[in-house]
Amino acid sequence: MTTQENAQGKIYILPQAIKTVARHSALQSYGVISLAPANLAESVGRFVNKDADFGIEVETDDDGVNISLNLIIEYGLRIRTVTDSVAESVKYNVEKTIGIPVKRVDVNVRGLRISNPD
Amino acid sequence: MNSKPITLPSEDERHRLLQSPVNGEGLMLLFEAGLTWLMTNQQYVNSLNVFPVPDGDTGTNMVLTMQAALNEASQTPSRNVGEMARMFAQGALMGARGNSGVILSQIWRGFARALDHYETMDNGLFMRALQEARNTAYKGVVRPVEGTILTVIKDITSAAEVEATQTTKLSELLVAIVEAGDASVKTTPELLPILKQAGVVDSGGTGLFFIFEGMLRLIQGQPLDVTTAKVKPLSELELANTLETIEEGQDYEVVIDFAPKAEFRLEDYYEGLETIGTSIQVGEGEGIYRMHIHTLLDKRYEPIAYTEAVGTVKKIMMENLQDQMNQRQAEEEPVKCAPINAGEIGVVAVSPGVGLSKIFASLGAAAIVEGGQTMNPSVKELVAAFENLPTDRIIILPNNKNIILAAQNAAKVSVKQIGIIPTRNAPQGFAAMLRLVPDGTLEENEEAMNEAITEVHTGEITVATRTVEIEGVQVEKGEVIGLYDGKLTISASSVEEALKALFGKVNMGEFERITLFYGEGMTQTRVNTLVDQVRKDYPGHEIEVHDGGQPHYQLIIAFE
Repeated sequence: MTTQENAQGKIYILPQAIKTVARHSALQSYGVISLAPANLAESVGRFVNKDADFGIEVETDDDGVNISLNLIIEYGLRIRTVTDSVAESVKYNVEKTIGIPVKRVDVNVRGLRISNPD
Repeated sequence: MNSKPITLPSEDERHRLLQSPVNGEGLMLLFEAGLTWLMTNQQYVNSLNVFPVPDGDTGTNMVLTMQAALNEASQTPSRNVGEMARMFAQGALMGARGNSGVILSQIWRGFARALDHYETMDNGLFMRALQEARNTAYKGVVRPVEGTILTVIKDITSAAEVEATQTTKLSELLVAIVEAGDASVKTTPELLPILKQAGVVDSGGTGLFFIFEGMLRLIQGQPLDVTTAKVKPLSELELANTLETIEEGQDYEVVIDFAPKAEFRLEDYYEGLETIGTSIQVGEGEGIYRMHIHTLLDKRYEPIAYTEAVGTVKKIMMENLQDQMNQRQAEEEPVKCAPINAGEIGVVAVSPGVGLSKIFASLGAAAIVEGGQTMNPSVKELVAAFENLPTDRIIILPNNKNIILAAQNAAKVSVKQIGIIPTRNAPQGFAAMLRLVPDGTLEENEEAMNEAITEVHTGEITVATRTVEIEGVQVEKGEVIGLYDGKLTISASSVEEALKALFGKVNMGEFERITLFYGEGMTQTRVNTLVDQVRKDYPGHEIEVHDGGQPHYQLIIAFE
């Protein structure tokens, strides 16, 4: 949880809020098809609860936040360029809308979707 | 980026190759024309960035992607369109640079799929290829953002769907495509608010438009390698940069502001100028045109007489370039770094200005690479800087956020042990340099430097390249803006005011020492007056001043 303070009192930003921004930003990035469960627990969670949140991990500490994304990428794209650009845009959007520094964005490519096998 | 002009075949040859249906050679020629025209307009596309500091590289990324594609296709030239397009798409995929490059590679991938197994391409097939290109491009993203290159390929395809049923002539189909592309680019600010806020059209979409316009220009026999009468806003005339590449026949630079007569025709005016000189640029703003040209000594008055015939001359500026160049060259002696002892850690610093380079050298940098905002060094340049140093242990200070990636790539291709300190500006670089222990371990040094860069804060004063509102700060094009740790903080009408406003926003009590590095365009006297004022306003702070020589930023300020 991130805590900030203003004249009126404290502001808490829960990881959930950061995840929402990161998810939206990742899914708007070119080449990203979907998020992917990172582990068994998430896979199971996804099975029992359709709205379960998966594919994004957020860790916060005093001086910022680390984000880890698990993604499915479109087959046929240069993966390195896609992942660079996702990381950049997630960092930018989280910093811009939430106002806390993003220290790292790790991108795990969990799979590729083949919509056209050429 | 060197823009090697591609030699296009003679007119007869062109006609033969472009007889509809087009074969593989003809398609190759169309792609070449698209690339050439994109290269000609590359700087314009780069200038369409949405942040008021120049850091756009969409044009460059698209050019590099197209070049990779064309290189691949030219390895195995084929008379068969299917084969040709397949190789082209393959090259685009491998060479895709940046987001726009990735989308472009998807467009060609879809395009190629539709042409698979075809010998030649008629208008119907061209239309189907565009449909496939559009579909493939949209498949790459779950939540497509409209007002981007995606919108432009969609609109182009819709126009082609109509036109392909009306005509069998490739030129007519391309006219419809280019018109639709032009209209589509113009709608992008309506679809994407950030573009409207920044007062620009989408850069990737514009790049795609130029590719198709290049194809059309080829068929119509119009030149592809000269910046034609493409009217740009005044602010985009890169007058300062044109100075760097002076060739023979460019003794004088003449800039004329004029109000044209009613019957003024830009195309004709442009043609006349071409007989007088080179590096021609014409800009328009609120009824006034600005013309920029480089001419020979004995032709230096011709642009004036010529312009007087077509309008009322308001203002003339003339400069002796040869003289200026000589002066610049005298000033720009390369900065020498002291040799390092074998095996010690060597630091490679990227520096945007001569003054800053000298400081890096005096702090013990082993090599300096020129580069910064809008002039990122390549991976090759970085590697060349440290490859010959007598050590296996290197630390790179990129000193710009856009160069960090190139530094990482340089680290990958070298066998040396390389540490990268993610410095985003020169003050952070200096802070890191001060912690250098040349005979320590790489890890110790990295740790100390990474800590050091968090301790220095940086202010930057520059001129907004366009009108924009970001995070509540309203900025007019040409206004002076101040950034604090990379964030747009204030806007003002002069450097002096900007500095004052920036200091007002910064918690000055936290710091003890302020160092100002002044850049191009700031004179010594102006800096002195400025610094006197700062000393008066902040008597408790230690104020230092250095000539940084950096472009774009009038001032870089380190707060410690």
